[in-house]
Amino acid sequence: MSVASQHPNITLMTYSEIETISGYVGNFRVKIRQKAKFVNHNLCTGCGVCWEKCPNMVPNEYDLGLSARKTIYIRFPQAVPNKPVIDRERCRWFNMDGKCGVCQEVCPADAIDHTQEDQVLEEEFGAIVVATGFDLYGGENAYSEYGLGKYADVISGMQFERLSNAAGPTGGKIIRPSDGKEPRDVVFIKCVGSRDEAKGKSYCSRVCCMYTAKHAHQVLDKIEGSRAYVFYMDIRTAGKAYEEFYRRSVEEGAIYIRGRVSKVFPVFPGKDKLIVRGEDTLLGKQVEVLADLVVLATAMIPSEDSDVVASHIGVSTNKDGFFEEAHPKLRPVETHSPGIYLAGTCQGPRDIPDTVSQASAAAVKVCGLFSADERELDPIKSTVNEAICSGCGICIAVCPYKAIEHKTITEKIHGQMVQRQIAAVTEAICQGCGNCSVACRSGAINLKGFTNEQMIAVVEAACQ
Amino acid sequence: MKRVGVFICHCGTNISANVDSKHVAEVSRRFPHVYYATDYMYMCSDPGQEKIIQAIKEHNLNRIVVASCSPRLHEFTFQKTLERAGLNPYLLEMANIREQCSWVHSRSRDLATAKAIDLVRMMVAKVSENVPLQRPSVLINKKALVIGGGITGIQAAIDIADAGYPVVLVERDNTIGGKMAMLDKTFPTLDCSG
Repeated sequence: MSVASQHPNITLMTYSEIETISGYVGNFRVKIRQKAKFVNHNLCTGCGVCWEKCPNMVPNEYDLGLSARKTIYIRFPQAVPNKPVIDRERCRWFNMDGKCGVCQEVCPADAIDHTQEDQVLEEEFGAIVVATGFDLYGGENAYSEYGLGKYADVISGMQFERLSNAAGPTGGKIIRPSDGKEPRDVVFIKCVGSRDEAKGKSYCSRVCCMYTAKHAHQVLDKIEGSRAYVFYMDIRTAGKAYEEFYRRSVEEGAIYIRGRVSKVFPVFPGKDKLIVRGEDTLLGKQVEVLADLVVLATAMIPSEDSDVVASHIGVSTNKDGFFEEAHPKLRPVETHSPGIYLAGTCQGPRDIPDTVSQASAAAVKVCGLFSADERELDPIKSTVNEAICSGCGICIAVCPYKAIEHKTITEKIHGQMVQRQIAAVTEAICQGCGNCSVACRSGAINLKGFTNEQMIAVVEAACQ
Repeated sequence: MKRVGVFICHCGTNISANVDSKHVAEVSRRFPHVYYATDYMYMCSDPGQEKIIQAIKEHNLNRIVVASCSPRLHEFTFQKTLERAGLNPYLLEMANIREQCSWVHSRSRDLATAKAIDLVRMMVAKVSENVPLQRPSVLINKKALVIGGGITGIQAAIDIADAGYPVVLVERDNTIGGKMAMLDKTFPTLDCSG
């Protein structure tokens, strides 16, 4: 993280979102919304007095509800940049007519600026790498039988990460959220969402087997006398040193039970232990495990509003909502829009070694593009026969790449100069999909390489 | 004068298990404008491409149909072959007799072969109408945008920046690091995630 922030060639724009992308390979125009931080980061020294003194506590999303934060905050002590923003939605100054302003009073650098507004910047780029990541399946509603969100001591794998993290809410101590006590028996349930067609997800999330093995190891390592149980469907450890890592957790004492869990419920209301009821398909019997803490390995899913990102960059998504690469084996980081590349979990579940490899692959594609001053484009482009184009604009409506616009031409008709509108194609943006050519009523738009004459010849040959 | 050459691939047994590639080549010789047709085990291999180049020279061919896999896989490969033989790369057509024929019609070799013949005939008709096309070119602005400041975006930004190009890394949260920074130790090496 700090390498990126210190690199002379990298400009970090945090708290920013993409508004629009237009243009084409080598020449993209991108509007970026820099959200108001209400803190002047040029003046701020990151001293931390403001978030220490801020009187307003709200749940901390970063710790997934396991801690609270102030309304002027940084995400975690090592955040990059290490300077705060004000949560406009919940800050008292904004919601109680300017009553409060403690941060402003205590800031020694005079960096608090409640008048800051969002800024929209427009910049030009030659290439775009999309690395918008993933989200985790909630599971609260879809797996109500597991009690996530209902019982405090049923948590997600990511919540476990926060508990186990030295920079997390407990300083790395694994505790039960209900009473803060150290758990002794921890039950892990894998494939919560993944490989469950009943929940609309047929895919494997690829990382849960490994991080559950890690979690089991962490429980056994950090808590003396603890026991870790893992309910699993299959154990998938395809990766360098992965099988060995899983074996190590077994050798340390993790108990693997092959079968699905049907229900998690309290021993009886008010008691602090949970019962995990499931089947052990190897024994052929129903089993019940007494648990202090239950951890669900929830599926990786496309990130929130990834559909909006997909429409910005003009990339298609697969049935699960992940971005589709140009070819799964031979062009794994390219899209069908030249100059736009994909990397990481926006394409589908991946682990860290794979995402890092893909990031470097996408970077090489960008560097390859940048190695020449010019780039040749595919010549399969639409062309307008100006003489017969009526300017109706149907082609403009059906073009998914916004490559067609109206233009005004002047013609001599019956001795008089007449102005009229016709369609004009920007070749560099046109991707040769042929929508316009099919939609054109007067046959004025033709796609080079797929002209009407060529297609009729094909149809005639097919009918022979 | 239009002189079409037709090259039928076996793709090992990917095509030839369900399509009689040899027969398709024989029938193709009778199509209008076709002056040469042959079949080969792997058309995309070096010897396969060399066969195409030799045939172009020997038979003075000026339009080529390769009947093999999807153009998504090897259209670019065969366009390069045409260029090496001195032909405009857009005088190539591909008939997809693998994904859209042999792979989906494994039950009937006769019908699959008949369909392959139809597909080749269609592409011969199309290539006969093809004209040479020139590739337009555009200038490249050598500055990259990386969307997403997780481990992937950070790595991509660093690699591009290390190569000497300016990069803007856009992240919607108020810190970079993404999900990775939320994690404790990471498998299988158990090192930190910062």
